[in-house]
Amino acid sequence: MPEKSALKGLAEADRYYQDYGLRARELKKQGKKIIGYLCAFTPAEVITAAGFVPVRIKGDVNEPITKADTEMETIICPLVRSCFDMALKGHYEYLDGLVVPHACDSICRTYDIWKYNLKLPYAHFINMPHGTDDASLAFYQDVLNTFRTSLGKFAGKEISNQALAEAIKLHNQNRAKVKELYELRKASPPLVSGEELTKVLIAVMSLPVEESIKMLGEVIAEMKERGVSAQKQARIMVIGAQVDDIAFIKLIEDSGAWVVADDLCPGAREFLSSVDVTADPVVGLADRYLRKIKCGRTYREMKGNYEEYLEDRFGHMGRMIDDFGVDGVVLYIYKYCDPYGFEVPQIKSYIEAKGTPVLYLEDEYSMSTIGRLRTRIQAFLELLGSK
Amino acid sequence: MSHCFAGVDIGSTMTKVVIMNQSVLASVIGPTGPEHRKLANRVMEEALKKAKLPFKDITYVVATGYGRINVPFADKQITEISCHARGVAYLLPEARTVIDIGGQDSKGIKLRDGRAVDFVMNDKCAAGTGRFLEVAAEELGVRLEDMGKLSLEAKKAVRISNTCTVFAAQEVVTKLSGGAALPDIIAGLHEAIATRVYGMLRRLKIEREVALTGGGAKNIGLVKALEAKLGFAVQVPPEPLLTGAIGAALLGRDIVKEAEEKGTPLSRAERRLQEAALFT
Repeated sequence: MPEKSALKGLAEADRYYQDYGLRARELKKQGKKIIGYLCAFTPAEVITAAGFVPVRIKGDVNEPITKADTEMETIICPLVRSCFDMALKGHYEYLDGLVVPHACDSICRTYDIWKYNLKLPYAHFINMPHGTDDASLAFYQDVLNTFRTSLGKFAGKEISNQALAEAIKLHNQNRAKVKELYELRKASPPLVSGEELTKVLIAVMSLPVEESIKMLGEVIAEMKERGVSAQKQARIMVIGAQVDDIAFIKLIEDSGAWVVADDLCPGAREFLSSVDVTADPVVGLADRYLRKIKCGRTYREMKGNYEEYLEDRFGHMGRMIDDFGVDGVVLYIYKYCDPYGFEVPQIKSYIEAKGTPVLYLEDEYSMSTIGRLRTRIQAFLELLGSK
Repeated sequence: MSHCFAGVDIGSTMTKVVIMNQSVLASVIGPTGPEHRKLANRVMEEALKKAKLPFKDITYVVATGYGRINVPFADKQITEISCHARGVAYLLPEARTVIDIGGQDSKGIKLRDGRAVDFVMNDKCAAGTGRFLEVAAEELGVRLEDMGKLSLEAKKAVRISNTCTVFAAQEVVTKLSGGAALPDIIAGLHEAIATRVYGMLRRLKIEREVALTGGGAKNIGLVKALEAKLGFAVQVPPEPLLTGAIGAALLGRDIVKEAEEKGTPLSRAERRLQEAALFT
C-alpha cells in the first residue's frame, strides 16, 4: 500500500482544488488564453477546439456573498450569486472571455450583468433551447455554429470540423476516465471516497483537457493500488445542482456513510454521457447537450403514461441506484433553484417507489447551515441503519 | 441485577434527563444555559439523587438534542428524530405521526413498527417554533405559560403572518395599537404556528394517530389550533417535554439488550472512567 505522499495524482488534484484556477494562471503567463464558462451546458469542446483553455466558474460556500448583492437580487440562485461575487472579488481576473449558456433563468438573465461588470475582451451567450424535439435540435445546431463562428473570430482562425472532432475525442476520453473512476465506487468499501472524487472532479473543471486526462489516469492507478478496509457503512447517492465544494460530501461521510454515487455537477450528470462521433461534429454535440444530459433545466415532453414519463426523466438515477448499490438518496437542493425545485416531488416519489429512502434538504449554498444539515443527515443514517 | 439507563436531551431551551429501568425512575427538567457541559453534569446529578442511585449503576447513557455532543459522560449520541420516535412509540403505541414543537425547531416524524421511517424539520427560521411564541409573549407582556389559557377566551382570532418571527412581533404591536383584544391576538399567533407546522407536516402524509410532543404540546391553545387544522384530536403524553429523553434511555436499553443477546461486548465511552472527576 503506497504511502499517502505517494498519491501524486490525488495530491495534484488537491492543489488545484485548494487554489482553484492555479493551472489556468500559469498557462496564462505562458501566453495561453483562458475562457471561463458557467454550467455543464457550455460545450467546452468548442473552446478547446479554438485553442483556448476552458475553466468552469465556481462559487465558494465558505465566502459570504457581499459584493454581488449590489448587482444581483437575493431572490436568485445563491450559487450564481456566489460565482459572480467571486468574479467581482478578483478570483477570475485571468479570464480572457466568458461563455454563458441559457441553462436556467438565474444564469440566462444575469448574462448582461456579468458582461457589463467583467468587461472581458470576449463574451458570448449561447441561446440554447429547452425542448428536446427535432425543431429545437435543428435550432440548437444553428446556435452552436453561431458560437463556433464567434469564438473563431476571437481566436483569429476558423474552428474547422477537424479541430472540433479532435476536441470532441479528447473530451470523450476525459469522460471515459471519469467513468473509470466511478467504477471504483462500486466496490465495498469503495476504492475512492466521495470527498476524494469530488475534489478530483472540481480540479478537472479548471484544467486543459489533456492535463485532466493525465491526472485522472494517475488518480485511478493510485486508487486501484491503494488498499482500503473499513466496516460496512450506508451507501449514499447525492442528487442536486452544482456542488463545487467538498464540505457537504464530507459532512455525509463524517457522519458515518460512504458517498458512492451522484447526479451532480461536477459529477455523473456532467461526465457520464459522451458525444457521438458524427460527420458534422456539431450534430453530435447538439445531440449530447440537448438530449443526453439529463438535467432539470431541459424540458422533456410527456410521452406515454406518467410512469413512462418519470422513467424517461429519472431512469438514469434509478439505474445508478441499482448499479452502485445505493441504500439512501440525499436530494440536496439550493433555495431559489427553480429547475430542481420543480423536479423535487417527482424525483422523490420516483426513487421512493423503487424502495430507496430519500432525504430532501434545502440549503443556502453556504456552510453556515452545516449544523442543521448534520442533524438531518445523522437522523437519516440512523433511519437507514434501523431498517 | 436489572440495568438502569439514562437519557439526556439537551434542547435549545430546556435540558431533560430521565433514568429508567423497566419504567421511569426519575426525571429532571431544567433550562439550557450557555454552558452545556457543566449543566449536563448538574442535571444528571440531580436525577441520580432523585433516583437514589450512584452514577456507576447506570449501565448506558444516550445523549440527544441539539446539545448532544456536549454530554461528556454519554456512551452514545443519537439524533432527536430517532429518540422522539422511540419515546412516542413507547408512550403512545397507537401513534403513526409525531409532531414535536420545540424551542428552536419543529419537526414531523412518521412511525412504522415503532421506528422512524421519514421526517421533516423546519427551515433555519424560528417561525413555527416555540421561539416564535416566546418573542411574541415578550412583546405582549404575557407569560409564555399563560398564553394557551388566555387564547381560549378569544372571540375571533386575528390573522398573523406565519413566515417570520421578527415581522410577526411587529405585527403584534400594530394589532395591539389597532385595538385588537389580547386573547384574539394570542389565538392568531397559535393559528400562525399551526398553519406553518401543518404545511410542513403534509409533506409526510399525515397518518392517525398523531402525537404532539415538545414544549408546544403544553400550550392548550396551540393544541386546539393544530387539532382544528388536522380535523381530529391529537394525543399528548403526560409530560411532553420528556419524550426525547425517554426515547434516548430506551434506545440505550435496546443497545444493551442487543449486545447481551448477541454476546458482543458493549462498547461504552472511555470517559466514564473519569466520572469521579466529573461528579465530585
